[in-house]
Amino acid sequence: MDVIFQFIGSVLGMTGTYAVLLGGLGTYLLLPHRHGAIRPRAAHGAGLIAVAVGLLIYMTYWRPPGLFLPAVFLYIFGAPSLIGAVLTITSRDPVASALWFASVVLSTAGLFLLAEAPFLAAGTIIVYAGAVIVTFLFVIMLAQMEGKADYDRAARSPGWATLTSFIILWCLLATIATLKTGETIGTGIHHLARNRMEPEKQLLRSRDLDAYIGSPDATMTSVVRRAVSPMSQIANLRPAEGEAAANPDAPSVMVHRPNVAGIAASMYTDHLASVAIAGALLFVALVGAVAITNPRMPVRPSSSDPAQSAAIGSIRP
Amino acid sequence: MPPTDIFTLEVLRDYLLIGAALFALGILGFLSRRNLIVMFLSAEMMLQGVALTLVGFGRYHGNWTGQILTIMILTVAACEASIALALIVILYNRRSSLDVTLWQDIREAGVPATPASLITEEAEPVDAAPGPESYPHLTPAGVEPAHPVEPWIERRS
Repeated sequence: MDVIFQFIGSVLGMTGTYAVLLGGLGTYLLLPHRHGAIRPRAAHGAGLIAVAVGLLIYMTYWRPPGLFLPAVFLYIFGAPSLIGAVLTITSRDPVASALWFASVVLSTAGLFLLAEAPFLAAGTIIVYAGAVIVTFLFVIMLAQMEGKADYDRAARSPGWATLTSFIILWCLLATIATLKTGETIGTGIHHLARNRMEPEKQLLRSRDLDAYIGSPDATMTSVVRRAVSPMSQIANLRPAEGEAAANPDAPSVMVHRPNVAGIAASMYTDHLASVAIAGALLFVALVGAVAITNPRMPVRPSSSDPAQSAAIGSIRP
Repeated sequence: MPPTDIFTLEVLRDYLLIGAALFALGILGFLSRRNLIVMFLSAEMMLQGVALTLVGFGRYHGNWTGQILTIMILTVAACEASIALALIVILYNRRSSLDVTLWQDIREAGVPATPASLITEEAEPVDAAPGPESYPHLTPAGVEPAHPVEPWIERRS
């Protein structure tokens, strides 16, 4: 019994619990549904306020990077991505949903840029913006009701869906917020046993794993050797050159590889099989899409005439 | 001693938190919305959350693996978009609606069906826009010609 009370106490003591509660309540109110006797406009207002407060509490978990501009841009890109996500799933109008999703994609691409992945940022914008524009055309062609359709104004069991997804969010938050870095536990061979027993309690950087090379565990050594190979590193240590090289105490410098060249080199050496599999997947999807959109007339067992069974198959609403 | 990296565990945590929230909201959209296109967008949003997590981890570890896995996610998303949009076109041609509950007759055995009347009752009432509605008045001219009720069915078959 004490364990249960302790658990409840620790749950209530976590700030993130209130962020998740407020966010869940707000999203539930924002989802298209008949909320009893409450007027829709009042429900939307309350939902928006609750989501905003929940997001502000959630943002207290973020720790901006040390430099000023990356810190500003983390909030500039991070907050709109979450706001856009909420509005994507709660808009009555599918066209508005597609536009909000485009804003989510743009903010995510900005976060990619902050994590030094410019090629991926460009690729995401190109691929997803293309996909979203195609989806957008579909929406305009297929859904002419502009949010007046019954099925756009009634969510499917919104209470249970909100509960499920926000419990998942709470669990993820509780796991992520308690992450510890490997440095607090210590690296080195004599920590190996403890580190391998509690791998989920800490996060070692792979470049800090140098100490494990030569450890008695052969599997560990080979895994680590592949992880720290120079080909798969974003930046490699290089001794100082020029005048600084004369000084033996000069710090070595991190030399960054060019982004696209580095990705390509790593992709075609370390991940060659994945490239082949991705190509096969694209080919199969192409064949599948062509096969789905141009179906043959279905021949039912009861009749041998394709045209007749097609007439049975098509349903007039 | 290598220089310290500015991408610390705290910054990685930001990326993981944003990715987790995007993933959870995508789950919510996929479970609760009934429009096929919005469900498709929610699935794409879950992929975005995972991609953010992978890029953050790749940057934290200082290798390219996260970015390469994200490129694989882009590949899978492109395949998913092509297949999903092809399916949406086919399903729309069959029932002339994007409502996914119209397809509940192919649900798992033993799962109760949602009656259509309940869905209509639970729909949110449309807020009338304030102020007088103004539509242009057009003078009807001639006799209305006979036209097919569902032109798209004739075109398909």
